Amino acid sequence: MLDLLVIGAGLTGLFAAYTAARAGLRVRVIAHGAGATHWHAGTIDLLGYLPNGQDAVANWTQALPELPPAHPYRLLGVDAIAQALDEFQHLAAAAGLPYVRAAGATDLNTSGPQAEPISQRDAPAEQFHDPDLGQNAALVSPVGAARPVYLAPAAQQAGNLEDDRPLLIVGLDGMPDFYPALIAENLQRQGRLARSASLPLNQLTKRRDHSPLQLARLLDRPAAQAHFTEMVVDVAAAGERVGLPAVLGLNDHTRLLKKIHQAFVSRDPNTARSQDGQGSGAAVFELPTLPPSVPGLRLDTALRARLDRLGVRVEIGMEVCGFHAAGRRIEWIETETGSRPLRHTARNYLLATGGILGGGIYADRCGHVKETVFDLPLTAPQTRTQWLRPLFLDRRGHPIFQAGVSVDHRFRPLDQSGGPVYDNLWAAGAILAHTDPIRERSREGIAISTGCAAANAVVRGL
Amino acid sequence: MKRMQTEILVIGGGATGTGVAWDAALRGFRTVLVEKRDLTHGTTGRYHGLLHSGARYVLKDAASAVECISENRILRRTHTHCIEDTSGFFVVVPEDEDDYPDRFAAACRRLDVPCTEIPPPSALRREPLLNPRISRVFELPDAAADSFLATHATAQAARQAGATLLPYHELTRLHLSGGDGNRAVSAATVLDTVSGEELHIDADLVINAAGAWSGQVAALAGVEVKMILGKGVMLATNARLTNTVINRCKMPGDGDILVPIHTVSVIGTTDEQVADPENLSIEQWEVDLMLTEGDKLVPGLSRSRILRAWAGVRPLYQETQPSGEPTPGTDDSLSNDQPAQDSPQSSRDATRALALLNHRQRDGVRGFITITGGKWTTFRLMAESAVDAACEQLGVSRPCRTADTSVPGVEQGHYWLGHRLNEVEDENLQSELVCECELVTRSMLEGAAQRNPTVTLDDLRRDVRLGMGPCQGGFCTYRAVGILHQLRAGNASPAAGEWHVAHMQSPAHHHRAGAAAEPSRAGPAPASSPAPSDESRRRSAAVDPGTNVSQPNLLLRDFLQERWKGVAPILWGQQLRQERLDELIYLSILNADHLPVDDEESPLSSFYRSGSSPASSSL
Repeated sequence: MLDLLVIGAGLTGLFAAYTAARAGLRVRVIAHGAGATHWHAGTIDLLGYLPNGQDAVANWTQALPELPPAHPYRLLGVDAIAQALDEFQHLAAAAGLPYVRAAGATDLNTSGPQAEPISQRDAPAEQFHDPDLGQNAALVSPVGAARPVYLAPAAQQAGNLEDDRPLLIVGLDGMPDFYPALIAENLQRQGRLARSASLPLNQLTKRRDHSPLQLARLLDRPAAQAHFTEMVVDVAAAGERVGLPAVLGLNDHTRLLKKIHQAFVSRDPNTARSQDGQGSGAAVFELPTLPPSVPGLRLDTALRARLDRLGVRVEIGMEVCGFHAAGRRIEWIETETGSRPLRHTARNYLLATGGILGGGIYADRCGHVKETVFDLPLTAPQTRTQWLRPLFLDRRGHPIFQAGVSVDHRFRPLDQSGGPVYDNLWAAGAILAHTDPIRERSREGIAISTGCAAANAVVRGL
Repeated sequence: MKRMQTEILVIGGGATGTGVAWDAALRGFRTVLVEKRDLTHGTTGRYHGLLHSGARYVLKDAASAVECISENRILRRTHTHCIEDTSGFFVVVPEDEDDYPDRFAAACRRLDVPCTEIPPPSALRREPLLNPRISRVFELPDAAADSFLATHATAQAARQAGATLLPYHELTRLHLSGGDGNRAVSAATVLDTVSGEELHIDADLVINAAGAWSGQVAALAGVEVKMILGKGVMLATNARLTNTVINRCKMPGDGDILVPIHTVSVIGTTDEQVADPENLSIEQWEVDLMLTEGDKLVPGLSRSRILRAWAGVRPLYQETQPSGEPTPGTDDSLSNDQPAQDSPQSSRDATRALALLNHRQRDGVRGFITITGGKWTTFRLMAESAVDAACEQLGVSRPCRTADTSVPGVEQGHYWLGHRLNEVEDENLQSELVCECELVTRSMLEGAAQRNPTVTLDDLRRDVRLGMGPCQGGFCTYRAVGILHQLRAGNASPAAGEWHVAHMQSPAHHHRAGAAAEPSRAGPAPASSPAPSDESRRRSAAVDPGTNVSQPNLLLRDFLQERWKGVAPILWGQQLRQERLDELIYLSILNADHLPVDDEESPLSSFYRSGSSPASSSL
C-alpha cells in the first residue's frame, strides 16, 4: 500500500512527493493537469511584498512577523522555510538545474550549491548564521520592472539589478512576447545604464511568429547555437551584461550560455578579467517571458526526473471524481477514466491541487466557494460582492484569491470547530488560506516550504 | 488659440455623428466633427450589434419599425462589409405563448417587414442549441453588425468626401450671437484633451449628434433637451451559441435578444433609466437577469463562460409624453432617480424613432440642430434628416446621397465568422499574432495605430478588437504596449501599411482575391479638402509623440483597469480562473504594479475607474 498519495503535480505536489520519497515512503502523484509551474517565471519567490506594502521586501526573514498570524509562513517559521529551500537547492543542483541566491555574486561557472550526498548534510546548523539568509534580489522583469526574487535559476542570476554593470537587453525579431526597447527604457527610468538590440532570426528559421517554446526547441540545436552565439557577441559591447529572453534551450540552455560566455571571454579577454575578479567576464542572463515559461518547464522536467529516480510515479490526466471516508479517515479516492472510476488507496493523502488558478478551488456564480476534491471547509468571503476590489492593481489584492483551506501546524485541514477534518489528509501550497501567493510574490516559497512541511508531518506520523 | 472655420460642425463621433459628417460632406458642405474621446466611445461602441429588421417594434413602435426595415435594406448596400448576414429568428418560448405571435405576423405584413414562419424542427436543425420547446418560429432579415467597423468605414467615407474628424476634442462652449428672438449659434470652443490646447471653430451651423450627451450639448446653447437615458446591460459569452440573431416573439423586454458577433454571442439587454450617461454601474441582479432570461432562449446559457459585461445608454427622446401630458421640458421626474417602471416615460416605453429637433422653430435659436433618439440601424436616416434640416436653415437645396453611396470596403462583401482566420492563413501570417483570441496581427495593430489617433489601448481595442476575447487582455496588453513603444521609435513592420480599420480585410488580400479595385468613389479627393484636414492627417499619420504613448507604463495600467471594469461583474468559475492567470502575468512575472510612472494618472485613467468619478467636465 502507498504511504502517501499526492494529489496535484505543481511545485507543491512534486516537492512534497520528493521529500516524502527521500524519507523512504512509498509515494505516488496523481493530477488532473500538469500544474502551474509552466506558467511561472521559474524563479523561487519567497516574499516580495507585504499585504498593502508599497516597497519590496528586502529580507523575507525579517518581514515574516508582519504577516498575519494565520499565514502559512507564520505556521512554519524561518528555520523550517530555510531548511526546505536548502533541500530544494540540493534537489535542483542534483538534477542539473542549479538554483542560486539571486542576491549572491554572479559567477556562471560555480553557480549553485554542488550536489552532495544527501546523507552527509543533515546538519544544517551552519546556514542559520548565514548573514545573507533571506536577502531578496531585484531581477529584471520582461517589462523592465524589478522582480523581488530569492532563489533564481543560475541562468537568471546575472539580471540582478544591484549589480551596476550596464545592461544590454537583446530581443528576437518575430517574437511577440519580448520587447527589449521597452525593458531598456524602463531600466533607464530606474537609473540603470541600459540599451537594447534585436536579432534577426531569418538565418535560423523561416517562421515569422515564435512562441518561447518554439524558440527554445530551435536553440537546442547545435548549429542554431553557434549562429546565435555569433549574433549575440556581435551586438554586445565589452563589459555589458546581456539579457536575453528565457528561450535559450529546453534541454541544453547551460551549454548555450557557456558558449556565449566563452565567446565573450575570447573576444575581450582583458575586459572580461578586469570586470570581475573571478574572471567570469561578460555575464549573460535570461529574462522570464509570458507563459508558457521555458524556465518553468525546465524546473518541472528536473523535478520529475528526480522523482523518477526515486521510483515515484507522476500520473497526469487523473481527475478525482469521488472519495470514501470512514469516520475521520479517507479510505480511498477515485479518478475518472474512460470506463469506470479508478480507485486509489493510500495511508495518507496530500492535497496540493492549488488555488483558483490551479483548480483546487472553484467559485461559482451564486457565490459558493468550493474545494474541488474533498469539499473541505474553506475560509472565503461570504458573498460575491465581497470577492473583488474596484481597482485591478489594488495592493491589498482581491479577497477571493485568499480563499483556501485553514490548516493546523501539521498542515491538516481544519473544520469549523478547529479540529482536523480527517486524520490522514494534509494540504499544502496555493490551496492554503490566509495568503495570496501571486500578490505577495510568495508562490514558490509557499509551495516548497509547505509541501516540505506537510510531507515531513506525514513522515513523522507513520 | 487656434481657429478654424467651417460650414457645418458636428458634435459627437458615434454612428450618428460620423453619419452626419459623411452626409454633409457628400452634399458639398465643409464639415468638421468633434468627439471628446475616441470614435465609437459612447453608445455606438457599447451596443449589442443588432441590425434590426424592425420586427421587434412592429406592434409597439410602428414608426421605428418602418424606419428600421427601410434602413436595413439600405445599409446592406452601403455598409455591406460591416454586416454579417445572419438572418434572425423570432421564437415563441413556453413562457410567452399568447396571441402576440399572430398579431406580430400580421403587423409585419402590414408594415412590409418580410416575415416567414418556419417549422420549429427546421429552426432547431439550423440552431441546435435553441430551446427545443419553442412552439413557433418566424424568420426575418435581422443581422449582426460590427458597429466599430461601420463607424470607421463611415468616418473614412466622410474623410474621403472632405470632412475633418477630430477625436479627443471636447466641446466646452457654444457661442451665441444676436439678442432675444434672434439668437444663433455661430461658433464653438473645443479642447484638445490630449494636448490641452483650445480650438475655436466658427461654424454656420452646429449639429448636435452627441447621443446620450445631447442634453448637455444643448444646454451649452441655452436650450433644454431632456433626454430619456435608458441603460442597457449586455453580456458576451465565450462561444458563439447561435449563428442566427434570436429574438423572443413578445413585447420587447429584458434579456430577450441574442446576437452572434464575430466569435461570441451577446445577450441583452436591460432598460434602466439613468440620470448620468457616464459611470454606469453593472449590478449583480442585472447580470443574473440576463442569464435567467438567456436560459429561456438557449437552455444552459447561464452555465456558459461569460467573458464580459458592459452597459450602453440609449439616447431616447420624446417631445411630448405618450399620454399627451406636458412636454418633457416641464416634467422634472426625469432628473430624479425614480424607478423607470413607475414613470409613464420609462425608457422601455419611450419610442425608438428618431427625433429631429430644429431649435430655430422649437426654441428660437438658429444655426443649431439636435438629432437624437433612433437606433444604430437608423443612423443614416438620422443623418439624412439632420442635414436636410441644415440645408433648409442654410437656404440651400442639396439632395442626400448617402443611400446610394457605398463606404470604403463594401466590395469585400458581408463579413463572416472566419474572415480573420481566412486572411491570417492566406497571408501566411501578415506578421506575429498579438492577440490569439481575436486573431489580431502586429500589422493590423500597427496599421490602426498609425492611421488613427491612439491615446489609449482602448482605442486600439475599438479598432481591431484587441483584448476582446477569452483572456480579456491577458497576453495582448503587454504585447500591444511593446509594439506601440516600438512604433513611437519609428519601428513599424513593413506590413503595417496594408491594413486599414475601415476594412474588414486588408486591401492587399482583397486585391489578390481578384475583386474590385480601390474603394474610392465618394466626393472630392482628399487633396481638395480644406486646410483643417491636413491637421487631422498629420495627427493620424503616426502615433503622436505628445500622447499617452509616451508613457507606455500608464497605457498598460489603464488598459488593465479598463478590462477589469468589464470582467469584475462576471468573475466566477473559469473566467475567475482566467483572471487569476492574468494576475500571475502582470503581477508575478511582469511586476507591472511597480513600474515607474511619471504621473499616477493619465488624463484618461479615470475613465476606467468604476466607482470613482471621471473628469469633472462630463461632456
